[in-house]
Amino acid sequence: MITKFSKLLSVGALALVALVAAARAADTVKVGVLHDLSGTMAISETSLRDILLFTFDEINAKGGVLGKKIVPVIVDPGSVWPIFAEKSKQLLEVDKVAVTFGCWTSVSRKSALPVFEKDNGLLFYPVQYEGEEESQNVCYTAEAVNQQAIPAVDYFIAQGKKKFYLIGTDYVYPQTTNLVLLEYLLSKGVPLANIGGGYKKDGSGKIISAGKYTPFGHKDYQQIIAEIKDFASSGDACVISTLNGDTNPPFFKEYAAAGLTADTCPVVSYSIAEDEFRSLPAKDLVGQIGCWTYFQSIDSPENTKFLADFQAWLKTTTADGVVKEGRVVDSPMVLSYDGVYLWKACVEKAGSFDVDKVRAAWKSGVSFVGPGGKVTTQPNMHLTKTVYIGESKADGQFKILKTFPDVYGEPHLKGTFKAKE
Amino acid sequence: MVWKLFRPLLLCTLGVCVGLLANVRAMAAPETARATIVRAILTTDDAQKRAIINSLIGQGDEAIREVFTAWRQDNLYVYSAPGGAKVPVELTGDKDAAGTQAAVRVDTGEPLKDAAGQPLRLVAKQLTAVEHDAGLRRAMKNVVDLLDLGSPLPAKRLRAVQTIGFAQKADKLPALEARAGLETDTEIKKELKEAIALIHLADSDDGVKIKALAELQELHNSSSYDLINALKVKAETGGKPAVVAAANAALVAIENHRSVVKFFGTLFRGLSAGSVLLVVALGLAITFGLMGVINMAHGEMITVGAYATYITQNVFGEGMHFTLPFIKVAIHLPGLHLTGWAYQLYFVAAIPVGFLSAALVGIALERSVIRFLYRRPLESLLATFGVSLILQQLFKLTFGSNNVNVDSPVYLSSNWTVFDVTFDWNRVFVIGFAAVIVFGVWLALTKTPLGLLIRCVMQNRMMASCMGVRTERVNMLTFGLGSGLAGLAGVFVTQLGTVGPSMGQEYIVDSFMTVVVGGVGSIFGTVVSALGIGLADQSLQQILLNPVLGKILVLLAIILFLQWRPTGLFAARSRSLD
Repeated sequence: MITKFSKLLSVGALALVALVAAARAADTVKVGVLHDLSGTMAISETSLRDILLFTFDEINAKGGVLGKKIVPVIVDPGSVWPIFAEKSKQLLEVDKVAVTFGCWTSVSRKSALPVFEKDNGLLFYPVQYEGEEESQNVCYTAEAVNQQAIPAVDYFIAQGKKKFYLIGTDYVYPQTTNLVLLEYLLSKGVPLANIGGGYKKDGSGKIISAGKYTPFGHKDYQQIIAEIKDFASSGDACVISTLNGDTNPPFFKEYAAAGLTADTCPVVSYSIAEDEFRSLPAKDLVGQIGCWTYFQSIDSPENTKFLADFQAWLKTTTADGVVKEGRVVDSPMVLSYDGVYLWKACVEKAGSFDVDKVRAAWKSGVSFVGPGGKVTTQPNMHLTKTVYIGESKADGQFKILKTFPDVYGEPHLKGTFKAKE
Repeated sequence: MVWKLFRPLLLCTLGVCVGLLANVRAMAAPETARATIVRAILTTDDAQKRAIINSLIGQGDEAIREVFTAWRQDNLYVYSAPGGAKVPVELTGDKDAAGTQAAVRVDTGEPLKDAAGQPLRLVAKQLTAVEHDAGLRRAMKNVVDLLDLGSPLPAKRLRAVQTIGFAQKADKLPALEARAGLETDTEIKKELKEAIALIHLADSDDGVKIKALAELQELHNSSSYDLINALKVKAETGGKPAVVAAANAALVAIENHRSVVKFFGTLFRGLSAGSVLLVVALGLAITFGLMGVINMAHGEMITVGAYATYITQNVFGEGMHFTLPFIKVAIHLPGLHLTGWAYQLYFVAAIPVGFLSAALVGIALERSVIRFLYRRPLESLLATFGVSLILQQLFKLTFGSNNVNVDSPVYLSSNWTVFDVTFDWNRVFVIGFAAVIVFGVWLALTKTPLGLLIRCVMQNRMMASCMGVRTERVNMLTFGLGSGLAGLAGVFVTQLGTVGPSMGQEYIVDSFMTVVVGGVGSIFGTVVSALGIGLADQSLQQILLNPVLGKILVLLAIILFLQWRPTGLFAARSRSLD
C-alpha cells in the first residue's frame, strides 16, 4: 500500500516537474554563442561573449523576444578552427538554437559555414572582413570592405595624399582587402608606381597580390620602415595597414623611432580598435587614423545610455569569467549588440523564430538605432550603417574626424573598379 | 534709409582714417600682425585689403593663423564703441539665453571691455559682420601657408619649405628666396634650395628647368624623385631631349645616392638585428653552451626581464597592484609618481632589476629542477619545457593574458640622420648594449675568481671537485648568470615589441639557432654567428624585398652549414660534449 502510494506520488511529482519544464520551455528561446573563450583568440572574443550576455539580460529584463526569455547556449571552440564546425553542429542539431552569434576570424567563419548551410541555421557575424561572400545563412553585421577600407582611402585622397603604402599580415583578410584597394586606387587615377609595398603578377600579367606582407608575430620592421621612409620622403604619402594585433607594437615603435609621424605620413590601421589599444604604445600612435562603424567617443544619447548600462551590468553580473575593470567598447562589440536587436526586430516582424521567416524579414529591411547610429538590414544579408573616421588620442580613444552616413554594405567588390586610362 | 546709404561711406572714411593712423603708428614702432589685420578689416577697398594682407607674408606670428581662421569662419564683427570708434572683435564661446557671446578684440587678443572695465558680451546680429570673398580667402590662405616659414621651430620651418616646394607654385618663390637669405640652419637651407629648384621645374622656360635639374642633381635628394620623373615623362612626350637628358642625369644621381644610403642603412640594420640576436642568445650561450643544459625555459627568463621592466615603469609612475596566483597574495607597489626626466630614467633602473629578477628565477629553477638532471640532457629538455609552460601560465594569471605596454623613453625613441641614413637610437643602443654585455661576460669569465671556477668546472667537473671547488655552488651561479643575461635581453626587447605571457617563445628558436651556429661552448662563436645571421637576414630582405623569403633562405643556409660543420663555427670542448 505504502509502495503504491509512494509510486503514485513519485509519478505525480514527475508529471509536475515535466509540466513546469514544459511551461518554462514554452516561454524561453535558445540562442547559441559561438566564440573562442580559450586559445589565441580568447583575448578578443571574450569581450564579444560579455556584450552578448549583457544584451540578452537587457532584452530579457524588458520581456524578451515575442514574450520568450533568451537562454544562451555558450560553447567554446578553443581557437581551433575545425572545432567551429563541430560546435555549430551541436548547437543546431542537439541544442536546436533559434539563432547563433559568433566567429571572429574569417577562417572560423568558413569552417562553421557549411554546417549552417546544411542545417539551415542562422549565424550573426560581427567582425570586419574581406567580403566576397554572401551566404543565405549568415547575417553579416560586420563591416564590408567598402564600409571600412574604402572610406579611409577616400579620406586620405581628400587630404591630398598621392602615394599609398599597403602593408598587412599574411592571411586572407589583408590579401583580399589590399587587392580590392589596389583596384580602387587605380580607378581613382593613382598610378601603380605610387602604390607602395610591391605587387606580384601571375603568368598572364594579372596582379594577384598587392602590398607588403609579414607573418603573424613578425618582430623586425627596420627594413620595411626604411622603405616607407624613403617612399614618404615626398611628403604626400600615407600607410594603409592591415597588420594583425601583436605585430602592431614593433611596427609602430620602429615607425616612431625612425622619425615618422602622423603629420608626415599617417597610418590607417584596420585592426586597431579601442579594445586592442589597451596593449599598444599609445604615445607612438597619437594622431593615427582608425576607421570603423562605431567609436566609443560617439556623442549620442543612444551611445551614452549604452555605455552606462554596460558598465552598470559589469558591476552586477554574476556570469563566469567576466573582467570587470578597465573595460572599453569597440566596433565588433557594438555590432554584436546591434545584431541581437536586429534579430529581435526580424523575429517580431516575422512573428516567428523560423529561420526562413526571419531571413525574409531581414531581407525586407529592418532598422535599429544602435550606439553607432542607425543600422538597416539589406537583401544581400549585409547592413547599411554609418562609417566613422577617427584620430587616435593618447588616452586610447578616437576623436571623430569624419562621418559617412548610411553606407550600403557591398560584399562583392573585386573587379568592380576599373582603372583610369 | 539714408543711414543705410551713408554707412558704407562712413565706414570707409573711418577705415581710411584708422588705416592712416595705423600707418603713422607703424612708422613709430613695428606694427604687430594683429594691428595689420585690423587695418585690413577696416579698409573698404578690396584691392587694398589684399595688399595689406599680403604684406603679412613672411611673418611667423601665430596670431595671424588664429585671426584668419576666425575671419574665414565668419566669427569676426565690427563693434561700434559708444565713442564712435570701430573695433573689430571676434565672437567666441557658446551663445547664452539672450544670444550674446564673449567678444575678443582683434587688435590685442584681449577680451573687449566696457568703460567700467567689465567684459562685454555682444549679440552677433547687432554687429556688422566682416565679409570675405574668394580673393581675400586666397590671400589669407597664402599668408597662412607661408606662416610656418617664419616659425621659430626648425621642424615646422622644414615642413613648410617642403610643402611649398612640392606644391610648385611660382607665386611662393619670392617668400622662399627671402627666407633663404635669413635662414641659418644648414638642413633647412638645403631644403630651401631644393624647394626653389622644384618650383623652377614647373617653369615654362626649358632653360630654367635644366638649370633647376642641375641643382637637384647636385642635391640628389630622394624626395624630389617623383617630380623629376613626372617632368621627364612630360618632356619625353613633348620632344625635349635636353630636358630629358638633364632629368635623367638628376634621376641617376638620386638613384646612386639611394643605393649608397640603402647599403649603409642595411649594414646598420644588419648589425642591430645581429645585436638583438646576440643579446637574446648570450644567456643561452652560457647555460646551454657552457653548462650543456638544454634550457627550453630560456625564453621565459627573457619574459621575466620584460615584466620586470614593466613593473619598474609602473613603480616610477602610478604604481600597480597584482595578485600572485594560487597563494592569492595581493601585492601593492606604490608609485613614485615621477614625471619628466626622472620618470624617463625607469629604463636605466630596469636594467639591474631585470638582471637580478631573472637571475633569481634562474637560480630557483636550477636548485629545484635542473641540478638533478645534469647527466640527463634529454630529460632536462622535457623538464625545462614543462617549466616553460608553467611559467607562461603563471605570467598569464598574474599579469593577464593581454599584452602589456612598455613606453619607449625619449632617449630611445628618436634618431640621427647622417647623409640620409637613419640611425634609430634604440638600434644604436642595442649595438652598444650588446658590446657592453659581451665585454662584461668576457671580463667575468676570464678576469674574476668566479670566472676561473666556472671555466674549470665546465672543463672537468670531477677534477675541479677533487681540488676542493664547490661545483654545486658554481653550477648554481653560472646558471644564475646565464638567466640574468636573458633577463637583460628581456629589458631591451620591451623597446622592440610586445610584452606578453608567451613572448619568450618568439625568441627561443632564434637563440638556439645562434648558439648552435656559433659553436656550442664558444662565446666568441655566438658573437660572430649572431652578427652574421643578422647581416645576412637584413641584406637578403633588402635584395628580395620580402621579409619571409629572406628568413627562409637564412634558415636553409644554416641547415646546409650545419651539415658541413655540425660543431658550428668555433668548436669548443665542453663537458656536455665529452
